[in-house]
Amino acid sequence: MNRIRIIKDRIAEGFTWLSSGISALVLIAIFVFIFKRGWSTLNWDLLKNNYNSENLMAGYDHIDWDEHGAFTAPDTLPEDAFFSEKYGVAFVDSINAAKESQMEVVFLDPESPLQDGKITTAGPRQGEKFGMEEGLFLKKISYINLEGEKKSAGLTATQGKTSEELVSVLDNDSQEVVDFYAQTEGGGLKGSIITTLLLIGLTLIIALPIGVFAAIYLHELAPKNKLTAWIRSSIELLSGVPSVIFGLMGMTMLFQVTRLMGITGQSTMLGALTLAVILLPVIIRQTEEALINVPDGYRMASLSMGATQFQTIYKIIIPNAMPGILSATLLSISRIIGESAALIFTMGTAIMDNPAWNSRGTSLAVHIWTVMSGEQPNFELASAISIVILIIVLILNVSVKYITYRMTRDKDDQKKNNKKAKATAET
Amino acid sequence: MKNLKKILVLMLALVMMISVVTACGGDKKDEKEEKETKEEVKKEEKTEKETEKETKKETEKETKKETEKETEKEVEVKETAADGGKMTGQINVYTRDAASGTREGFESVVGFKDQLTDNANEVSSNGDMATKVGDDVQGIGYVSLTTDFAANNLQPANYEGVEPSVETVIDGSYLLSRPFCYTTRAAGDYESDELEQLVKAFIVFLTESTEGKEAVLSAGGIVDVEDSKSWDELKADHPIVDQDNSGLTITTGGSTSVEKSLKAALEAFQPLAGNFDMVVNQTGSGDGWKRTLGGDKDGPNASDIGFASRKFKDEEPTKDAISADKYCDDAIVVVVEKNNPVKNFTKQNLFDIFTGAAANWEDIAK
Repeated sequence: MNRIRIIKDRIAEGFTWLSSGISALVLIAIFVFIFKRGWSTLNWDLLKNNYNSENLMAGYDHIDWDEHGAFTAPDTLPEDAFFSEKYGVAFVDSINAAKESQMEVVFLDPESPLQDGKITTAGPRQGEKFGMEEGLFLKKISYINLEGEKKSAGLTATQGKTSEELVSVLDNDSQEVVDFYAQTEGGGLKGSIITTLLLIGLTLIIALPIGVFAAIYLHELAPKNKLTAWIRSSIELLSGVPSVIFGLMGMTMLFQVTRLMGITGQSTMLGALTLAVILLPVIIRQTEEALINVPDGYRMASLSMGATQFQTIYKIIIPNAMPGILSATLLSISRIIGESAALIFTMGTAIMDNPAWNSRGTSLAVHIWTVMSGEQPNFELASAISIVILIIVLILNVSVKYITYRMTRDKDDQKKNNKKAKATAET
Repeated sequence: MKNLKKILVLMLALVMMISVVTACGGDKKDEKEEKETKEEVKKEEKTEKETEKETKKETEKETKKETEKETEKEVEVKETAADGGKMTGQINVYTRDAASGTREGFESVVGFKDQLTDNANEVSSNGDMATKVGDDVQGIGYVSLTTDFAANNLQPANYEGVEPSVETVIDGSYLLSRPFCYTTRAAGDYESDELEQLVKAFIVFLTESTEGKEAVLSAGGIVDVEDSKSWDELKADHPIVDQDNSGLTITTGGSTSVEKSLKAALEAFQPLAGNFDMVVNQTGSGDGWKRTLGGDKDGPNASDIGFASRKFKDEEPTKDAISADKYCDDAIVVVVEKNNPVKNFTKQNLFDIFTGAAANWEDIAK
């Protein structure tokens, strides 16, 4: 080996290190970026809460306000809380994950008249006892002022937009409270997380069998002629079509299919069908790759033992190609989680809390789209959702890898056991 | 020996990364003195910015050339800062994507349809605009009034000498504003009769009641709350709100800009009208009419009320709708970077800038 050769090889080798170094650094940088932005927003409540808050309204027209005296603030009250001596209630201002102002009820005196309200909203719960509660987020409170006029204060009113202002209005200007409008805590990801999992499940149920069997046909059964080659290259071509096109197709064509199932609008099913079409090329391609890797000797041996072609496929080829098929599943899962354009058309952008296969919903990626598309995009929340997505992908990857490991290990164990049995039989 | 080489090459990669970062992620806000003391902090900031760019790269297709351009800009900025307040150099025009209601509103008020300069940088959302202009001392763009200016390092500019605010929009002196409009489905074209009545009631709540207007105002929509009646008075005409409506769903579509104010109004209306359900399915102004009265009205994404952050166009006739009108205004605010000394723009200024007639800040300073 001459010197120049050695130098050339070293340079080539160095280049591979450089490339992998750069990719590793970029990856780390992305992780750091997402975690730095989103970690502080992420908490357990964000994951388990509903997105849409419950809107509650309770009235007090049956209360004798003169009975109640003044209240004193408890010592345990947080420093940033404002306490109304007249009604025995304390509020704290805060900003939620969606960057909206909130006014939380942090303390309610057990004697406070505000807890004896009744629901005024028409419906089965009307008249039910419901009053101010700790943990509610107050939006508006209506009161009768000293002149006897009905006024309102709170976040959705023109006055009393901060706790301090609200408490001073209530203590100094009001005779009695007419009703209040409050919300439960919202903005959570529960619905979107469930929808994402539901979508993954539905899509895989539809796409995997079709994709795998199409690949088996193309690789094992189809005659090796121009038509097969043409079908194969068209499938590959399909993977280059932008997903928006698939979304439009799903909206017009596949919608007719879901309509037959009795669904009138956008639905998770429609999204899953569309995604199944998008994923077909990926799954077919990956499965074929796995089939190619099954040694031809296996096929020959099986056929020569007198097995039929389908016995060979089901008992020899598919089990041996399983790791490849599972990696196709992994790729599909990543694709489903990352897809947004097609889903905006087929599943809508309205975030739902109780997703079902036949109703609208948003996957986490579309949730990010919704968060970012408004007038005030929310990078922190989007990053927090990204972390959730990363965690879901990680869990799914690890579990699929584990399944693959178990399957191959079981097979190895079997082989070992067989060998052992043989050995004992021989002795 | 081999390990040593590996480490060396990794170090080289790190150095390359950092050099790329410093080349394109220049922090223009800081003064020279700060630079020396805060070098450590800034490096971190830059990496953050760089990563942001990395992630956006796919969509923006930033070429290397642009990165080089930006370094040039940085040099210019330093010169202007030394100049002491006067703004010189090239104007970087930012505009929204063609589907944007804000852009349509802005272009129609300033009056330069189809004449937009080729040098304009297109951004994809209001927030994107805020971030980009906030990062570019030479930049000019427009956002909605609800934008958090301080957080994005922006300076809201006056239009024709009038400061953008809720009051100036309502009294009509601030002219750079756009209407948020709605249209309902045609009479009789609803899932049920009850839903039609509920939609009617909601429209009255949204446009006439004090409660509805206050909710819209609190969510950034600009309405005149004084000119309204209390819902207690209005609801007498809408007996539908006094029954259990938990089986009904109001579906909305159209502009994403209206989402906040619309959701606030719907949420405030929910407990007043028998706990109906809502689906706020916003995708863009173009879909507002299409999904209520147009071609998609029987499609999978049909909606009961469609919204647009502009007036409905002539090819979007709303005469069939039960009701179609404006429910609030949103002011469009011309923004520049915080340190930009230019604080006021006339209509002519904006016309010149956005059509490319004024390419440098000197051209409008006179």
